[in-house]
Amino acid sequence: MDGLNIERPSNPGTLCFASSNECTHVSILTPSDIIQRNRVIDTLLHLSSLRYEGTQPYVAAPRLLCATLDSQIIRSSGIGLLVYDERRIEEVIKPERIQPPRKIQQEPAPSNADSPLLSELAELKSRYAELERNITLMRSEFKSVQALASTSIQPSHDFINEHRFDTFQHSTPPFASSRLQEGSLPSFFVNNPWLDVLAKRGRTEDPPLAG
Amino acid sequence: MDFGTSDFKFGPITCGENPRIVNNRGYFPDKKSLVYRAFDSAADVIVGDEVPLYLQSNEDLTTRLIHPMKNGMIDKSDDNAWKVVGALCQFGLNSFPITDNNGFHGYNVVASLSAVSPRYMYERLLELFKEASYSGKVRAVTMIPQPFAVAIGHGVTTCVVIESGHGNSQVCPISKYPIHSAQVALNRGGGDANAITSEILKDSGYGDLAREESLVRKVKESIGLIPDDLDAAIAEARRTPRKFRARHKVPGTRVEIDLDQDSWSRFLIGEYVFNPNHEIFESYFRRGMSRPRDVRMGETTFRGMLDFGEAIVTSVEKCPVELQPMLYREILLSGGNFSWKVPPALQAFAVDAPTKIQSLLRKKGIRNVSVKMTGSPQFSVWHGCIIYGFAIPEDYEWDWQRLEGWMKFAA
Repeated sequence: MDGLNIERPSNPGTLCFASSNECTHVSILTPSDIIQRNRVIDTLLHLSSLRYEGTQPYVAAPRLLCATLDSQIIRSSGIGLLVYDERRIEEVIKPERIQPPRKIQQEPAPSNADSPLLSELAELKSRYAELERNITLMRSEFKSVQALASTSIQPSHDFINEHRFDTFQHSTPPFASSRLQEGSLPSFFVNNPWLDVLAKRGRTEDPPLAG
Repeated sequence: MDFGTSDFKFGPITCGENPRIVNNRGYFPDKKSLVYRAFDSAADVIVGDEVPLYLQSNEDLTTRLIHPMKNGMIDKSDDNAWKVVGALCQFGLNSFPITDNNGFHGYNVVASLSAVSPRYMYERLLELFKEASYSGKVRAVTMIPQPFAVAIGHGVTTCVVIESGHGNSQVCPISKYPIHSAQVALNRGGGDANAITSEILKDSGYGDLAREESLVRKVKESIGLIPDDLDAAIAEARRTPRKFRARHKVPGTRVEIDLDQDSWSRFLIGEYVFNPNHEIFESYFRRGMSRPRDVRMGETTFRGMLDFGEAIVTSVEKCPVELQPMLYREILLSGGNFSWKVPPALQAFAVDAPTKIQSLLRKKGIRNVSVKMTGSPQFSVWHGCIIYGFAIPEDYEWDWQRLEGWMKFAA
């Protein structure tokens, strides 16, 4: 892509893409991250804060583990969701952009050239107000993520009931997904190790024994 | 789609826990009959819930009503049977309405066949689905053996699945893949238990009733028991016949079967299925009851007299040594022939199928064994098919060596 630079990320497990007028930040969750509650919360909080710096934040999660993430919460927090497996990466939720505080708060510079301190004070005041708003929003998001993380390690029927079929990898016809959005995945899917085994067919796997 | 000998179970994942079920049969109507002409859109072969509407006489049941699968197999040259299977496939695909213009490009179909199905059954089924693809209902198809589907539906990746139906039984080790070369097939199933039950009824003076197949099956289910130790069970039953009394009343009739002093023979019914080698059965063979023979069907030899314990050991010992303990630790029993009663009062002598298998293996020196019935014996194959179709990558293509993968049809 023209003008797109890949920046050196500050944290491991993240990617940053910058172009002339926007920056995209992707935090990648691995299967081991998903079961660490704090890692998920840290990632989402960090991404949430980046929205107010004019960045497009994404979280990338393994496809099979997306059942543990409530897409509604991610959507309401304005964070984008990428789902990946060995074959492809798919954008499931677009992030919601927020104008950088700098632009919103931009006011004509005081005409009085002798009071640079006053203008700086005004800017600090507005940024403080913005920070207070951010903290309030992050508190409510944190509570939601906490509630999610407390049950995300042991998927239960409740989570399966909230799961959206169309976040899964299989490109089944819309007929199936439109019915399943209202219902749940069948119980025989829960904790079934074959999902992982079969998803790797034709990939890196042991050859069949005496097949 | 699960093509069982008796039932055809089918449906997409949106069916939830249970599939739709219809009889695995088709009716070829007489095109000259009034009934046929009354239904304008009647097809050459009728399947599903409409079949009873077309039946006209008892003669129809033998000449026009076709059950395509015999012990899970269809003869290569049985064109009518293949027509029934084709009609069932179409019936299944058309049973779930699809909204127009919603982007539907056809189902990915997972069909399940008997573990001993020869290659030509796979080939014929693929042809049927290729024809169905022209209507836009099928995008890709794959086929998996029923024991493999059972293991997937049960959620166990390393195990031995034992399927036992009416005509035969199969022992199938699975370790992420079916281990085809280690499969052992037995020419024994629920039908053999019916045969010994019939002999027992004849010996007890119920020779006329012994000729009615459906009654014999009901009697078997009512009074048949599996003994932990046949000799001990017979001795105790002879000593206290009242405690072991076997009686069966036919509902809606005055007919009652009472084995009375011969009630000990109810233990023969269960024992015969699991181990026909006891000397007590020789007298039945001498008197004309068919001895289960070794039979070759397709590419598979079905062993007649191998007991279940020996069959399992033979199968597992064809697998790598380090895998064998893991296989013994997960043995799954599937199929109606493993559903046996254990009356509470007789628990000291009568056991269920998992316990009997453990006992047979113990006698072979295999101790660290876990044997279970599948949680949902009626639907576990369909469950496995749904999971398989859901999880397999779309670009995993069909391979005739592996017998796995998607066979795709051009859009």
